[in-house]
Amino acid sequence: MNQHFLTGESVTQLTQSLGGSLAVFAPELVLAGGIVLLLLLRMLSAFNRLHLGYVALGIGAVALWLSWTQWQPFLMADNSVQQSAFGGMLVFDGLTAFIRLFLMAGLVLLVWLTLMTGIPDREDSADFYVLLLGAVVGMNLMASANHLLMVFISIEMASLPSYGLVGFLKGRRQSSEAALKYVVYGGAAAGVMLYGMSFLVGRCGSGYLPDVALSFQALLRDGGFDPLLLVSILMILIGLAFKLSAVPFHFWCPDVFEGAAAEVGAFLSVASKGAAVALTGRFCLTLVAGTPADPVANAELWNSASHYFGPALAFFAAVTATFGNLAAYTQTNLKRLLAYSTIAHAGILIMGIAALTADGLSAALLYLVVYLFGNFGAFAVVALLRNAYGTEDLADYSGMVRRAPFLTVAMAIFLLSLVGLPPLMGYVAKFEIFAELYQAGYNLNRPHLIYLLIVGLFNTVISLFYYVKVLKVMIIEPLPEGAAVQPIAPLANIYVGILAFVTAFGLRVWDPLMEHGAKRATAPMRFVAEQVPAAGPR
Amino acid sequence: MDLAEFLFWTVGALTCLSAVMVAAAQSIVRAAVWLLFTLAGVSGLYFLLGADFLGAVQLIVYVGGILILVIFGVMLTAQGPLTSIKTPAGEWAISLVVGFLMLGLLVACILATSFDTFKPTTIIDDPARARTATDLGLVLVGVKDSQVQGPADLNQVPGRQREGITYVFPFEILSVHLVVVLIGAAYLARAKRRRKEQA
Repeated sequence: MNQHFLTGESVTQLTQSLGGSLAVFAPELVLAGGIVLLLLLRMLSAFNRLHLGYVALGIGAVALWLSWTQWQPFLMADNSVQQSAFGGMLVFDGLTAFIRLFLMAGLVLLVWLTLMTGIPDREDSADFYVLLLGAVVGMNLMASANHLLMVFISIEMASLPSYGLVGFLKGRRQSSEAALKYVVYGGAAAGVMLYGMSFLVGRCGSGYLPDVALSFQALLRDGGFDPLLLVSILMILIGLAFKLSAVPFHFWCPDVFEGAAAEVGAFLSVASKGAAVALTGRFCLTLVAGTPADPVANAELWNSASHYFGPALAFFAAVTATFGNLAAYTQTNLKRLLAYSTIAHAGILIMGIAALTADGLSAALLYLVVYLFGNFGAFAVVALLRNAYGTEDLADYSGMVRRAPFLTVAMAIFLLSLVGLPPLMGYVAKFEIFAELYQAGYNLNRPHLIYLLIVGLFNTVISLFYYVKVLKVMIIEPLPEGAAVQPIAPLANIYVGILAFVTAFGLRVWDPLMEHGAKRATAPMRFVAEQVPAAGPR
Repeated sequence: MDLAEFLFWTVGALTCLSAVMVAAAQSIVRAAVWLLFTLAGVSGLYFLLGADFLGAVQLIVYVGGILILVIFGVMLTAQGPLTSIKTPAGEWAISLVVGFLMLGLLVACILATSFDTFKPTTIIDDPARARTATDLGLVLVGVKDSQVQGPADLNQVPGRQREGITYVFPFEILSVHLVVVLIGAAYLARAKRRRKEQA
């Protein structure tokens, strides 16, 4: 296709492929249209008295519905189609559809929560929801990016609106400081990642991920070890680790969560992690995956390629989970505590990716779904109690069970689910991650994954301490003398109740969620691990 | 060494020198001016390597646009304690150690990598060969395939059809992004209206 002028034929061809791409891109188009709509409504005086959250909720609901219809083909059958969109910039497959559904669900839940808690107020609602929708568009692109250029653009598209959201409470010094810290760290991480990308593109001759994978594999076949390749991949992983708030690139996370409103914290800790997990998973698995046709070469490739990612990811995972859990114990501010808990959970999520198998990524995706409900619930309780009692300090939560019994019970469910105790949904997620670690470590002969599994189990025990400490303060410690009791809106109770119900009884949908959900999402990458010959016990 | 090569090394050395001076300059205004030379030098390198469009963009966007903004920012904020940057000796030591370690690592990696599978990029001294804007435009809309130069001949992989890569989408989606970011910046910059006082 080498020509020098734009001909009528090529224009027709381009128009046709554009139609297909736009159809796949419909949910994001709705969000982009919604951004414009929100801005236009602000200009009409008739809508001045309307809180634009209702409009944003409608936009989110339409996008959620569209994402659900796009998930249908993957729900029905094992569908490993990877449809390329917009000339190879994006890819639409199960992973895209799954994460898109996850993000839209998170968006709707968040907009609903903000409508109840009153952040933002009516006057600032247009700005807040424009930033929110813009960030969600970026996160969707992170999940579908198939070109290093899009990887970078999508990360920036998700990050820049987030900086604005963190600094949204303008009058507060803490909030502005948090936003500034986030910007500085984010800029530095993006710079390092871009530098790494330039090496990778220079070494592989293309930024299109399948091409990068082919060059990468060819290099491995010819020369064995390539230090420049390793450095470039490490640099890209640093940028991704920042988005995942993995140690040692986590410094922004506690300050940002403490400074930002709890609602924004919920968004950052769930949605942005989800997008980052999808992007990291796609990047790593695309590079270590060979061609489905040749199992033997595939296995060799996986064996040599996994050295480039495996140890780095395992290291990030182990350090992140351990540090997050240890640091959370001493926190006295609830949002800070949840920030460290977010870091710890990021570590567990990276464990799923560190297995470098499709099933490992599936387990991480399942973990995300569980985490969505548990963590959103915990942040929602913090936000609602902040509105009622004006405090986010753990010390002021003493005896909360007598003031807000329903919220306290719900909080107990959320926190115990985050620990991973059996009857709750969190158990499912932790179990799947650890099971995949064991399988990959044992079957594929990767002993470091077994050590990672031990670190993970150890971390589950540590995390119990600080989650239960919160519950102890809320339930066992006495209510201070003369403490007033504020009513909680019934709608807020219903919201938290729904999240708690799903978290408590989600165990019932374990199999459908894993087999028809998370495993279907990673179907195109399935052959990666399955054809690596079982090495057997060492 | 012919003229083009001589120019390449000279411009490269001057660029590096100005980049060092950006970091070393104590006055923030001087640092901004050194940055001007650095950015202009980079565009000179682009021109020498035959990337005329990229060189022009570098000149217009960075030298002409961003640097002017930087200087505006410096002029508005350079008062009192902010006019000069005094870095403590300890920070100098740390940043030098970290910087040279990073440099050493990268240089070692680049030296250990064999680039013999690549077509070397040559200095273009014939202006007729250095017209990249047309090609870039065609790649942007996907009429011409972006050429792949790499160690593997990607077209040779059996059972795989290479599809044309187009760059329209990033171009378009960035406009959505810029609207969002603009709204965010306007929100952060403006003062909160006092609605209650009006009522």
